[in-house]
Amino acid sequence: MWKTILRRVLIIIPEVFVLSILVFLLAKAMPGDPFTGSINPHTSLAHIHHLMKINGLYDPWYQQYWNWLVHLFHGDLGMSYEYQEPVTRIVGERAINTLWLAVFATVLTYAIGLPVGLYAGRHQNSRGDHAIRMYTYVTYAIPFFVILVMGLWIFGYLLGWFPTTGSIGTNVGSGFPAVISRLQHIILPGILQALFGLVGIVQYLRSEVIDATHSDYVRTARSKGVPVKDVFKHHVFRNSLLPITATAGYSITGLLGGSIYTETVFSYPGMGLLFVSAINYRDYTVITALVLMYGVLSMLGTLLSDIIMAAVDPRIRIE
Amino acid sequence: MSKSKLALAGMAALSVLTLAACSNGGQSSSDKTVKLPKAYNNTQKAVKGGTLKIAEVNDTPFTGISDPNLLSNAEDGDVFSPSTQDLFNTTKDYKFTNGGPANFKLDKSAKTITITLRDNLKWSDGQPVNAKDVEYAQEVMAAPDSTSQNYSDAMGQIEGMDAFHTGKSKTISGIELPDGDNGKKVVIHFKEMSPMMEYAGAGYFSEYAEPYHAIKDVPMAKLASSTQVRKNPLTYAPYKLDKVVAGESTTFSPNKYYWGNKPKVDHVSVQVVSDSAIEQALKSHKYDFTLGTLPTSKYPDIKKTSGYKILGERSRSFGYFGFNLGHFDTKKAENVSDKNKKMANVKLRQAMAYAINQDEVSKKFGNGLDERATTLVPKFYGKLHNDKEKGFPLNIKKANKLLDEAGYKKSGKWRQTPDGKPLTIKFACMKGSSTLQAAEDDYLQQWKKVGLNVKYVSGKPMEMNSFYSMLQAPSSDKYDMYLAAWSVATAPEQSQAYGKGAQMNMGHFVSDKNTQYLNNMDSAKAFNSSYQKKQFDGWQKYMNEQAAYIPRNEGIDYMPINKRVKNYTSLTQNQEFFADIALTSNSAATK
Repeated sequence: MWKTILRRVLIIIPEVFVLSILVFLLAKAMPGDPFTGSINPHTSLAHIHHLMKINGLYDPWYQQYWNWLVHLFHGDLGMSYEYQEPVTRIVGERAINTLWLAVFATVLTYAIGLPVGLYAGRHQNSRGDHAIRMYTYVTYAIPFFVILVMGLWIFGYLLGWFPTTGSIGTNVGSGFPAVISRLQHIILPGILQALFGLVGIVQYLRSEVIDATHSDYVRTARSKGVPVKDVFKHHVFRNSLLPITATAGYSITGLLGGSIYTETVFSYPGMGLLFVSAINYRDYTVITALVLMYGVLSMLGTLLSDIIMAAVDPRIRIE
Repeated sequence: MSKSKLALAGMAALSVLTLAACSNGGQSSSDKTVKLPKAYNNTQKAVKGGTLKIAEVNDTPFTGISDPNLLSNAEDGDVFSPSTQDLFNTTKDYKFTNGGPANFKLDKSAKTITITLRDNLKWSDGQPVNAKDVEYAQEVMAAPDSTSQNYSDAMGQIEGMDAFHTGKSKTISGIELPDGDNGKKVVIHFKEMSPMMEYAGAGYFSEYAEPYHAIKDVPMAKLASSTQVRKNPLTYAPYKLDKVVAGESTTFSPNKYYWGNKPKVDHVSVQVVSDSAIEQALKSHKYDFTLGTLPTSKYPDIKKTSGYKILGERSRSFGYFGFNLGHFDTKKAENVSDKNKKMANVKLRQAMAYAINQDEVSKKFGNGLDERATTLVPKFYGKLHNDKEKGFPLNIKKANKLLDEAGYKKSGKWRQTPDGKPLTIKFACMKGSSTLQAAEDDYLQQWKKVGLNVKYVSGKPMEMNSFYSMLQAPSSDKYDMYLAAWSVATAPEQSQAYGKGAQMNMGHFVSDKNTQYLNNMDSAKAFNSSYQKKQFDGWQKYMNEQAAYIPRNEGIDYMPINKRVKNYTSLTQNQEFFADIALTSNSAATK
């Protein structure tokens, strides 16, 4: 298996190379440039051309790509045109914020979603199941943005239980107080994100459990006299979790993807907003860095999913 | 100090880099907008200290550049405003005046401007602000390897600036420090003088100083990313930066070396709050006032918020329609009007202006804050706005008459060109808010009423970058007219947007009379204010007759101020706005 994993990792290298060229070309193909977004009647267009020139934006694409590649191997992803600071620094700051929130929300999503989904499937048509289904339908019907604004209004402003904006208090020092402040700031957006995110897991898991309950191997187990509790524990739940497990690897991309809605409503500076503003302002260096990073994470996520599947399902082997 | 990016929330906007936070706010009797006070006279006694909490209304994190010479968006200007100060006080018309951190003297005959720093002006580390700091500010904006996007053509009027900007010279020969680097006097020599040099925000020179002693070793290209700019900037403003949380908040404490009135509060914090959350944030009394532009759509609810006083001032946003009338000759660096362009007929343009019902659009969507603009010089400019001009109120009959006279006869549903060909007018605009889209749809329906077949370029409003790429192309037949907006500068400079050589004259309108008016407005004679007013009035009248650009809308910016805030005035001319602000209670007023 290790050989296979190594081989898969090695295959990722040329894939990333091709991806980087595509990303680079597509970013440049977009109309506009990083500087004309700031024009005003006082703007010297000659100065805009000067800025384009000193930033190498008039060079042929292959030369720009080569320069970028050389810098990349020196750990330099370039300077952001919009932020006027190194891309690595901006992405680093935002990635930390996003990770805090995403890890909390993801853990909460699975911690609530899995037992609730299993319960709903196990107790199909019970009152509990009806309540869960009602919750999932209603939540799914409401736009995520509205859930966030309502949650912020009720728990942030009306009840005042949680901070309402940012990722950390304005006057918090470093160390332990900073950690506590960060946790306080992610609780509300994290819970709201999880309450919305778990809907898919619950619905999926519920139907998987119901399907499995009616499958032949369950009938066989039951006819052999295996107690219902053990049938669910050893057969139904394990098999029902397989599809969820299969996608778990991909969620590492989601961990750093950020949520544009959550970040906007809570003024939480994360990767989602960074990506959108980079596209709007043609911040090529940031766009390229982020798309490439997401690409690599997706490839690793796929590999991770395969490894997890092999680990949990004895029928699957990576060869 | 505020600088705007192109994509202003909720409106199709070309914005302008500007150097002052607030407008002169004059409202005349002809205004159709609500009347809001410009200052809040809180007569209660101030408490000692306290924390002033400010919300920066914005949906994106700020970039963190505290240096006004380097930043390129309004958000950074706002969140660092307590620690930013212009060198000069200004009059209510935004003309430089004495009494601020530095005095200003313009000598027309010697073609110089003399900046004299006050003796007690110090950086927040106790070092004196001296002449070298003012000189270095010009270099930060103009150095060949500077990342500043704020260098303007006007700066090229400084003697020796071109050589410095292109790297041919290491110093700007037109900047003289008569008493040496550590002196207090800076003399800037210009090639030509303009009355606009008397105004803040005209862009002829940087109106700030840079702490040369602290940043001299930082390469220009890396200055914007340095800790001296992002984490520990020095300032001569009333407050100094204590902490910045990247993209989300800034906190300040009093600068003990401040030259002016002693700052009244212990701490100032500025936090980014999203458009969607600001209304609730104010209702929860979390903030004392807001920076950034509040959405017009939220005004009806926000004005009812208890504990707040609503102030208002003339907005610098100014919407207009432009017509594609020619091209930009890149070799001669000048606009050329083309008589064969589809929109070259002045009566066609006038008819389109009279056909739209902007009064109704502003009334419907403006919540009392928006009105039809009547000339290309918005009311923000006070007396330079021509009150006698009525612009283009709805007049379908007149529109039809103009089209008939010009030979655009109807053939079935639509009008044809005078030579009998089908006429389709391509209309370009940017994606914006739903209300903007509704307004644009209304314009199309109004034009349909007079038989003009107007269609969106590519069938719908355009993405921002595509829109600007098209408009800024030297020549394009992809569009016939467009809708855009400027956030005008505090200096009433017009030639850079409408002049023959102006690349921002994106409609490429050129005429001898226009050039003559613009030259007169910029001439030495225009230092005389009555002559200046006469020329401005004449130009506005002429431009309305030509209808090359149709003024669309302008309005009022509103600001909710918590009733515990004392000494709040929207007038920032004395530069002591933040130093004077005090609080009358330790908790926010709720009634």
